[in-house]
Amino acid sequence: MAQQQPQPEPESLEDVAMIAMEFGKLLMECGAASAIVDEYVTRVANALGAEEVDLRVGYASLAITVRIHGKGVARMRRVGQIGVNQRLDQAVRQLARRLEAGECTMAEVVGELKRVVKETPRYPGWFVDIAVGLACASFGRLLGVDWLAFGSVFAAATIGQYFRRKLLSRHVNVFITATLVSFLASVLGGIGSRLAGSSTVETAMTAAVLLLVPGVPSLNAQYDILNGRPTLGSARAVWVVVILIFITIGVWLSQMVLGEGR
Amino acid sequence: MHIEIAKILHQTLFGALAAMGFGVLFNIGRQNLFWCGVAGGLALAVRTVGLQVGGSLESASFAAALAVGAVVQMFQERIGVSRNTLDVAGCIPMVPGGFAAKAILGLFALTAPVPIEPDKTLIMSVEYFLRVIFTIGAIGTGLAIPSLLLKAKRSVLKEATLPKPALSKPTGQAPDATLE
Repeated sequence: MAQQQPQPEPESLEDVAMIAMEFGKLLMECGAASAIVDEYVTRVANALGAEEVDLRVGYASLAITVRIHGKGVARMRRVGQIGVNQRLDQAVRQLARRLEAGECTMAEVVGELKRVVKETPRYPGWFVDIAVGLACASFGRLLGVDWLAFGSVFAAATIGQYFRRKLLSRHVNVFITATLVSFLASVLGGIGSRLAGSSTVETAMTAAVLLLVPGVPSLNAQYDILNGRPTLGSARAVWVVVILIFITIGVWLSQMVLGEGR
Repeated sequence: MHIEIAKILHQTLFGALAAMGFGVLFNIGRQNLFWCGVAGGLALAVRTVGLQVGGSLESASFAAALAVGAVVQMFQERIGVSRNTLDVAGCIPMVPGGFAAKAILGLFALTAPVPIEPDKTLIMSVEYFLRVIFTIGAIGTGLAIPSLLLKAKRSVLKEATLPKPALSKPTGQAPDATLE
């Protein structure tokens, strides 16, 4: 995809490597699959004058070798907590395309990246909570939750998402957060649907925790494996399994408390 | 074989709502949330029809993911959203989180001090696990097929039009080199 346009003067190898990896790091943290990360890092490095780019995409780090005029450097960068942020993902890709088209220089691109990270909008927290609540209630309907339990699944998942946001902003471990939120949402969903007289209390308790199910990593895991990166794919898959276990511990505890389940 | 239109409409509506709700969580832009809903609705509609004509959950999910992957591939440039975004948001409502929880709960029940009907519990747990793995596998593969086909086409075109690079990639990277 990288169009070899009239090449700019080659910049310092160190800077080319680090800037290209900054793009890759941000894309990884926004939840992009490795093929996208590889494509954009290569495009950015080529746009900055690199003649050859080799990238290793790991779960917690990126490593790159960049060559210009027969000289090369190899550098590594740490990747932070991986989440999902599509608007930032789009903004980073857009900036990479601008760099490629020559609309911004290497000196400007570092500042531009910082600006993009700072200025990309996010939905207000309360709006996300409600949207997630609605999503879980809809999930509940798909799983066969009756209308009596619909409202309590909505409320439980909304409150669960609120607490997840608060816990993660206090840097509580993501696995511990999963158990705590799953316990809370499941108990609230169970009590609410019981009070409403629902006959699908157990399903409601499961539906209320579906906000925690790691859909993006589980699809990325496969996508990475199918794209020839089984190491990263396996790492993502292990993460998915462990988070599922922690979510289930929360549901299990709530079932014990409420005496639901088998 | 029995098609229930009301059920299909119900599942489509709630599939769309679930996809849009998760779209907000994934910080998908306001103007693109609608398309997430379309992708989610399409996925659930195809899956429900698949189940109603007698398909298994896995095969119906595969057909639904294939449909979402293909439609997104066709309309992606017109809509201007990244493929990944719509694919993932559309298929999120089909990820079998509830089954996964039941499977793990079954394993917990097996290790209780006095397990009740351990043989039944084990079979049930294994069955749920297999369904989770096969369903997620079906979704991931279904989504990936359209884009992998397009990539293969692109790389053939690229090889035909671009001169060979001066330095070749190491052989260990061969699968990537051919896919890109």
